[in-house]
Amino acid sequence: MNNPCSGCPGSISCLPTEEEPTENQSIADSYTVAFAGQPNVGKSTLFNALTGVRQFVANYPGATVEKRSGIAMVSGVPLTIVDLPGTYSLTSYSLEEKVAVDFLLKQPIDLIVQVADASNLIRSLYLTFQLLELERPILMALTMTDVARARGMEVDVEKLSIELGIKIIATVANRGKGLQELKRTMIDSCAKPTKKPGFSLDYGPILEPVIQKTTEELATVDISPSIPLRWMAIKIWEDDPDLDRFIHSSQQKRRIHAQR
Amino acid sequence: MELEKVKPGMRCRIVSIDPSGMAGKRLLDFGFIPGAHVEIVRNAPLADPIEVVLHQTLVSLRHEEAKKIMVEVIE
Repeated sequence: MNNPCSGCPGSISCLPTEEEPTENQSIADSYTVAFAGQPNVGKSTLFNALTGVRQFVANYPGATVEKRSGIAMVSGVPLTIVDLPGTYSLTSYSLEEKVAVDFLLKQPIDLIVQVADASNLIRSLYLTFQLLELERPILMALTMTDVARARGMEVDVEKLSIELGIKIIATVANRGKGLQELKRTMIDSCAKPTKKPGFSLDYGPILEPVIQKTTEELATVDISPSIPLRWMAIKIWEDDPDLDRFIHSSQQKRRIHAQR
Repeated sequence: MELEKVKPGMRCRIVSIDPSGMAGKRLLDFGFIPGAHVEIVRNAPLADPIEVVLHQTLVSLRHEEAKKIMVEVIE
């Protein structure tokens, strides 16, 4: 049905604009995976290799930062992959990071895939620990394992996987290596999600008690249920400038501020 | 001493870092943490940037940012 709208001249009528597609429209037999990672780790190369030409570009409300999403078919099951902006961290200091955090914590995603550069793994691990603290199902896709090898570095995938308590898949995206295994593992992880990553970063004897105390206090605050309390407590002590968006009551916002 | 004052070609170890503000947080995210080794590639005393190698990655810093990093020279 065409409704004439006030913005259109005379005879022209325009179609009612469709509602923005939201992520929570996921059908029971499809899954949503978010790709997170630092800039230049090969996130988009992996994204393109997995989704092929079926990708589209989407802008989401509330931010000018773009998230791309595309669909990869894995044995008949559509897997929506969302390529988040590259971030070094998960704070509120920049728009990209805020977009990434909000998406990872508020959207009903089935799995986070951290894309990490095998040729410079140590840098990616800083983000790994922050992603683990989000307490959502997660796995790691190592990219550029060929570059790492050429530089004389061999990543002990099995050992790293045990240490971090997450699945890790080695890939060379531009040669198509490891992609089938990655797809299979993503589907498996979506179908049988693990509750929590097995690893929790220990902040040591000075910080742990205060983080614990704040976590307990946060249990009485009306926070969006998808926000892990320990993560929130850590961010409070990191002096993150914009945590209020997760807290519902303004009285409680003041209480949280008073604690700092 | 401040990383800002280290001469090119020298290697040093990070002793402490001022984590305040966005620049401080970003330095930590890059891996500028106590104990990490840094090699100075280029450092003009008056002009930005200072180029350093950290974890096999070339990083360019402003003098202002490099002031936040305290180091001891190894060699």
